[in-house]
Amino acid sequence: MRNKPEDGKIRRWEDKKIGILNFSTSQLLSFSLLLLTAYCLLSLAGCSKKDKVFRESRIVMDTICTITVVSNSEKEAKEAIETGFTEIKRLEGLLNYFSPKSEITAINKAAGSNRVKVSAETLELLKRALDIAEATQGAFDPTIGPLTRLWGFHDMSQITPDVPQDDKIKYLLPLIDYKKIKIKTSASEVFLEKEGMEIDLGGIAKGYTADKAIEVIKARGMNSALVAIGGDIKGNGLKPDMKPWKVGIQNPRPKTGVRGQGSGVKDEENIFASLYLENKAISTSGDYQRFFLKNDKRYHHIINPKTGYPAGGIISVSVIASDGYVADGLSTGVFVIGAEGGIKLLESLNLSGIIVDSNKKIFLTNDLKGKINIEKNP
Amino acid sequence: MKKILKDLTPAGIFKMTTFMDKIFFFLLIIITTASFFLVKEFIKSGNIVKVSLNNKTQYVLSLTEDKIVSVEGLLGDNVIEIKDGKVHMKDAPCPDKLCIHQGWIDRGAIVCLPNKVVVSVSGDEGKKEFDAVTR
Repeated sequence: MRNKPEDGKIRRWEDKKIGILNFSTSQLLSFSLLLLTAYCLLSLAGCSKKDKVFRESRIVMDTICTITVVSNSEKEAKEAIETGFTEIKRLEGLLNYFSPKSEITAINKAAGSNRVKVSAETLELLKRALDIAEATQGAFDPTIGPLTRLWGFHDMSQITPDVPQDDKIKYLLPLIDYKKIKIKTSASEVFLEKEGMEIDLGGIAKGYTADKAIEVIKARGMNSALVAIGGDIKGNGLKPDMKPWKVGIQNPRPKTGVRGQGSGVKDEENIFASLYLENKAISTSGDYQRFFLKNDKRYHHIINPKTGYPAGGIISVSVIASDGYVADGLSTGVFVIGAEGGIKLLESLNLSGIIVDSNKKIFLTNDLKGKINIEKNP
Repeated sequence: MKKILKDLTPAGIFKMTTFMDKIFFFLLIIITTASFFLVKEFIKSGNIVKVSLNNKTQYVLSLTEDKIVSVEGLLGDNVIEIKDGKVHMKDAPCPDKLCIHQGWIDRGAIVCLPNKVVVSVSGDEGKKEFDAVTR
C-alpha cells in the first residue's frame, strides 16, 4: 500500500505527468500495454481459425477411399467427410456389379427377356457410359461383363491363372455390344437385347462416384476437397498454401515390384510422374492393377471388347478430365485403342492424358507438356 | 481495513500498481492464453496411429510409444507394430502380403484390403509430398 509522501513530491517515474493532456507516464504506457494485449490475444485466437487439411480413409467399393477437405473448423470438416463417405456407400449399393440387390444386377438378370425399370441416376450413368462407348467407338464397352467374368477378373480376391479357351471367348463376343443396350427414357427402363449380356460399369463407376462425392462435399460448404476412390481421383479448390492438389501417378513398373494399396513413405519411390489437379479428375488404367501371370505372360483385366483378349501395347494410361466418369471411361478406352490413336482421340475431345506403352515410351497430349512433372522413367 | 477495501477499485488498483506490475500481468495473460492455443496445436498434429477393421476404429495409439497390437478380421489376424516412431504391418492373413511389403511408415496409411484393415497415421496432412496417387 503506497501512501503519497508528505512533501507532495512525485516519487515514482510512472506518476510523472507528460504531454499536453497531462496523463501520467503510467497511464499512457498502460494504455499501450492494453492495446498490445488485445492485439496479441486476437492474433492467437486467429491462429486456431486457420484453414487446415483434414483427411480420412475407409474401405468402400472394395478399395481404399480417401476424402481430404480444407476447413477452418474441425467439426465442419468431419461432417463433410462423413457426408462424402455416405454418398460413396450409397453408390456402392446402387452400382455394384456383384451385389445381388443392385439395379445393374437386376438389368443383367433380365437380359433377353424383359425391360427393367431403374432409378433416374442409374439411367443417367448408363447414358454417360454409352456416350463414352460412342466416343471410343466401342473400345470402352459397358457390356464387357461376360468377358470380365470369364477371365476371372470380377473378383479380385480370387484371380486364378487360367487362360480361357479360345472358343469360349469367341462364343461370348456377340454379347459384347453396347449398341444392344436399349433405353426407354420416358419409362426409365433398360433392356439388354440378348440373353447372357451383362452390364459392368466397373470402368466408369469409381470416376462417377468421385464426382458425386465432391458434389455433396461442396454442398456442405467445403470448396477445397480431394476425393480418391482407389486410384480415381477428383480435386476441387486449393490447399491452405494456395497450391492445387498434387497427384502422383503410379509407376507401372516400380523397381520394388510392389503395388500396395496404402500410401506410406514408399509412395515417393513408386511414382514416376506428378501433376497438379486444378478442379479436374484423373483416372488411370494399368496392366498392373488386376492381372495374373501364366507361362511368363501377363494377362490383365482390360479386355479388348472386339477380340476378347487383354489389350496389348500399353502398360498405363492416365486421363485428366473435368468429370471423373469421363476420365475413368476414357482411360479404359484409350488403353484398348493404343498409344497414338489414344492421344489423337484425347486431343480431339479436349482432354489431357499420359500413356506409357509396352516399351516404356511416354506419350503426352500437347497440353500436358510442361504441366506434368516426369520424375523418373518407368 | 475500510481504507484498504475502498482502494480496491479498478482505478485504485491502477494507481497502486507500478508499471512493472502491469507488464508482469500482461505477460501472464499472454503466456497463459498462448500455451492454451499451442497445446491444442500440438495435440492435433500429434502423431496418432489409428487402426480400423471394417472401417471401425479398433485402436488409437501414439507413434511415440512402442507397441504391438492385433486385429482379427474374417481372414485372420493382422499384427501391427509401432517402434521407434514408425509403424508397420508385422503379419497379415492375406494372400499377397502387399500390406507387409509397404514397410515402415510415419505418414499416410497401410491397407490390408482383403482383411479390411487400415492403419493410418494422422497429423501434418498438409505437408505430404503427394495428396493422392492415381493407379
